[in-house]
This record gives sequence, structure tokens and C-alpha cells, in this order.
Amino acid sequence: MSEGVRTQWRDYDWELIHEPPRQPLLHMALDAVITDEVGAGLRRPTLRIWEWAAPAVVIGRFQSLKNEVDPQGLQRYGIQLTRRVSGGGAMFIEPGNSITYSLSVPQALVAGMSFQASYEFLDSWVIKALHDLGIKAWYQPLNDISSEGGKIGGAAQARRGGAVLHHVTMSYDIDADKMVQVLRIGREKLSDKGTSSAKKRVDPLRTQTGLSREAIIERMLQTFASMCRVSPGTLGEATLHEAERQVREKFARPEWMNLVP
Amino acid sequence: MHGEYKVPGGKLVVVDLDVREGRLAEVCLSGDFFLEPPEALDNINRGLTGLPVTAGEAELAKAVADALPAEAELFGFSPEAVAVVVRRALA
Repeated sequence: MSEGVRTQWRDYDWELIHEPPRQPLLHMALDAVITDEVGAGLRRPTLRIWEWAAPAVVIGRFQSLKNEVDPQGLQRYGIQLTRRVSGGGAMFIEPGNSITYSLSVPQALVAGMSFQASYEFLDSWVIKALHDLGIKAWYQPLNDISSEGGKIGGAAQARRGGAVLHHVTMSYDIDADKMVQVLRIGREKLSDKGTSSAKKRVDPLRTQTGLSREAIIERMLQTFASMCRVSPGTLGEATLHEAERQVREKFARPEWMNLVP
Repeated sequence: MHGEYKVPGGKLVVVDLDVREGRLAEVCLSGDFFLEPPEALDNINRGLTGLPVTAGEAELAKAVADALPAEAELFGFSPEAVAVVVRRALA
């Protein structure tokens, strides 16, 4: 739990970053760099919407590479393997089939909250946006966004200095047959989920809303803007260069991928 | 040896380990849990290494708790969950 005086969404001028597609490895680094900038007071609290330039598998900081990923499946489909800085589970992303966003916020926004409360709090606006779109969505502890049809998305956090990184991927559409060829999803993991099949677990936003991915993002941004002041920002050259450096020296390296072999 | 344990209402905890001369070796904990600071994963692995294979759940859980830095925070698992998965791997 973090101590100190808690701030509120409206106490900040938020920055929105929504740029053209980037490579998966660069996204991993951008989360780290932007959150560290927010923690150091060099950037406003930031909401970043991701656009993916290539298909990727993203595994959690503490996941075993060999237990989670099928290397033959990755090769078969030309999928980029990445490991993120936060815990949580593996995901399979194809451009246009997911809605991924990151919040990089000062610790003060969740001061005194339990981890559980902070997950729910930081995604409360998304639950509202989903309700506005007619989806009966709710927060499913510990870190899922769920609906009557099934799971919609999952969140993960990492605490970095004075800031918290909270990022979420929601499924807009999914090729479940391909997913089970690239991720190894064991029976033990599903043991208390009330389903025996990973393919049946996810119910994507496309079938639930009939809306385009862009329309859903637009609605999410409207909901966010109704909660606090937010204006568009850019990554900037310095941030981009630092992220590219971290890709070369960390995120693209086998040492990082094999951190938990 | 390999063990998996889905914490009820929590996350998946996995362990891969060897046994040498009756003691735990090459302990590698993994899973989709959350842990701060992330480097505390090494503390857990080191804290389990060298324990006798006869260690019960209480002893294993205490070793994990003692190995964690004071500021460590676990979300979705616990020292007791790590003890369960190690016993499963050894079973």
C-alpha cells in the first residue's frame, strides 16, 4: 500500500498519446520510459493508446518462456516475442484485433489503496465506457475486465519510482485457433475459471458491440475526457530515442527474454 | 521437476526445480502473479534453494517469507502458495 495524500483524476492535466503503429518491442520500452518520465515529473500523467505494427506475444515479467510460448507457433506465423515489465499473463496480439492502453500515473493517485482497489479504480472509466456502449461489463478480481459473454480484457501494473504503470489489453477480435498454437495455456490455469477451454474464455468487443475498433476507442476517450482535463501530446524525440536505446540494450536481448527461462 | 498451482481467487504459480543430495536446487519460480519489487523473485528462489526435500509446507512458506525484502508486496499469491507448488513439484 502507498501512503500519503491521495490525489484525484481532475487534479491533473492529462496527456493523451495516440500515435501511428509501433513495433511491439518499442511499445514495451515506451511504457517503461514514459512511466519513469511521469515519476520524475518530466511528463504529465499520460494515457497512451497503442497501435501495433506487427503481431506479438507478450509474456508477463515473471512468466516462464518455455512454459508459456510455443516457439514453433511463433515461427509459423511470424510473431514477435516480447516480455513486458509488469506481471500477469501472456497475451497474443494481432494488429487491429486488440485495444491496448497504458496509464502512467503519479503514485499519489492511488495513495493508500490496496493493489486490488487500485486496479479497479484505474479502470473504472473504461467500465463506464463499456456500459455506455451497451456492454454489461464489470471488474473481475484480480485483474480482469469481464462481461456476461466472457472475459474482455486484462490489466497489469508495475510500480516504478514515483509512478504507477497500469496497462490493459482488451480483445476486439480474436483468432482463437491461432492463439492456442502460439500460447501454451494449461489446464491448471483454467481450473477455477469455470471453463475447460481457453478458446471459450474470451468474448471480444467486436461481436459484443458490432462497432468498429476506432469507434470504441473514440467512446473511451470521450469518457476519459468527461472525468478530467486531457489534451493531445507527442512522444518527442528524446523519449523515442531513450525507448529505442532500451529496446537495443534490454527488451530485444535474449537475457531479458530468458529472465525466467 | 515441475509443479503448478492456481491460487483460488488468485494467480497461477509454477515452479521448476531439481533435487541434489536431498536438497532443492535450481529453483525457478514463475507464473502470472504480481510482485514488487520484481527483483524479489530472485530472493524467493534463493530462499528455497538448499532446503531439504522433506521440508513441509509450513517450513517452505516461512523460508519464502523470510527471504522477501521487508518492502515486498505480493498480489495474487503468497508464501503459502509457493509452499504448495513446491510440494506439488516434489510429490
